[in-house]
Amino acid sequence: MSRYSCLILSALLILLSASASSQELADEAQTRAIPKEYAENYSFTDPQSRKTFLKLTEELRCPKCQNQNIADSDAPIAHDMRRKVYQLMQEGNNEDEVVSWMKQRYGDFVHYQPPVNAVTMWLWLAPVLFALIMLFVFIRRRKVVDDVDVEARLARAEQLLKEE
Amino acid sequence: MARLTCFLLPLILFLAVCVFLFKGLFSDPMARESEVLAEPFPQFTLPDLMDETIRYDNRIFDGQITLINIWGVWCITCAIELPYLTELSQQGVRIVGLYYDQDIDPDFGTKTINRVRGEVTETLNRYGNPYSFNIFDVYRDTSLDLGVTGAPEMFLVDQQGIIRVHHVGDVNERVWSSKFLPVMNELSGVSNQGQSQETLGE
Repeated sequence: MSRYSCLILSALLILLSASASSQELADEAQTRAIPKEYAENYSFTDPQSRKTFLKLTEELRCPKCQNQNIADSDAPIAHDMRRKVYQLMQEGNNEDEVVSWMKQRYGDFVHYQPPVNAVTMWLWLAPVLFALIMLFVFIRRRKVVDDVDVEARLARAEQLLKEE
Repeated sequence: MARLTCFLLPLILFLAVCVFLFKGLFSDPMARESEVLAEPFPQFTLPDLMDETIRYDNRIFDGQITLINIWGVWCITCAIELPYLTELSQQGVRIVGLYYDQDIDPDFGTKTINRVRGEVTETLNRYGNPYSFNIFDVYRDTSLDLGVTGAPEMFLVDQQGIIRVHHVGDVNERVWSSKFLPVMNELSGVSNQGQSQETLGE
């Protein structure tokens, strides 16, 4: 009996805490809607550099949170990197210069466009090579199989005929 | 012969995929090569965390092996490694903090510097103070220059101001003896031939 009451009590407790935490989450989402301390108002005088900024923050990858770009990420490092991108652009650096600034510190990892070199070349070559090899195998195999099949069948038919 | 290759080729391919995936089980997706290794420590001029009238620059590395510890009071792992770092500093290792705070936004300042100083003093009193001094990375620019992705991180800088080790995560006894100690021994051997044999002999 005591075991059952224990179970019921713990179930109740879990339910209570779950509802409390969901309430907290809702509150947090409410306050997050207006992130006061992280309000980042980057203003640009010409629309072209605004476009470049948006493109850069989408192409640059957050080193802390895998598979998020710095425009998406809320990690502190992403905040800092966005600020740095803006700062570098204000200092007159162009798109490539900003990317190479980041690459110097965080490696090729930081850019979603991998450079083409001896190692990464295979990313593009491998599928093409695979398709070519498969095509070659397919063509050769079909021919061989057909020949063998026909000859073997003919031989077998002849044998059967002879037996009769 | 053709039959044998028909059998062997898929087997070999299968085994290759197995080896590749098996290795993937033990690889750390967060591990990356550091870009700053063997590079000089980035140029900086930054104030002391506790007293903004004191300013530091790259001359702090002259002639001494220095550990630069990236940390903040908001970082739990940093607090966990403080006792071990304190032990190291008592053994004569020079540890300098590069402090960066998340809660101070450079443009808004949600937390006053006095409050940060209070929290730092409290943390160091509780867990131990391994730092010769703390450099305050006000705008976190030096951290970005170092390729820091979070805290804690540890850099070993040699007597010429060149970065020799970049470690992401906390420093404990295992990390210290496998990653830092060999480099420390090598570096102190370069600067002082007579002492190097003693250090190696221990």
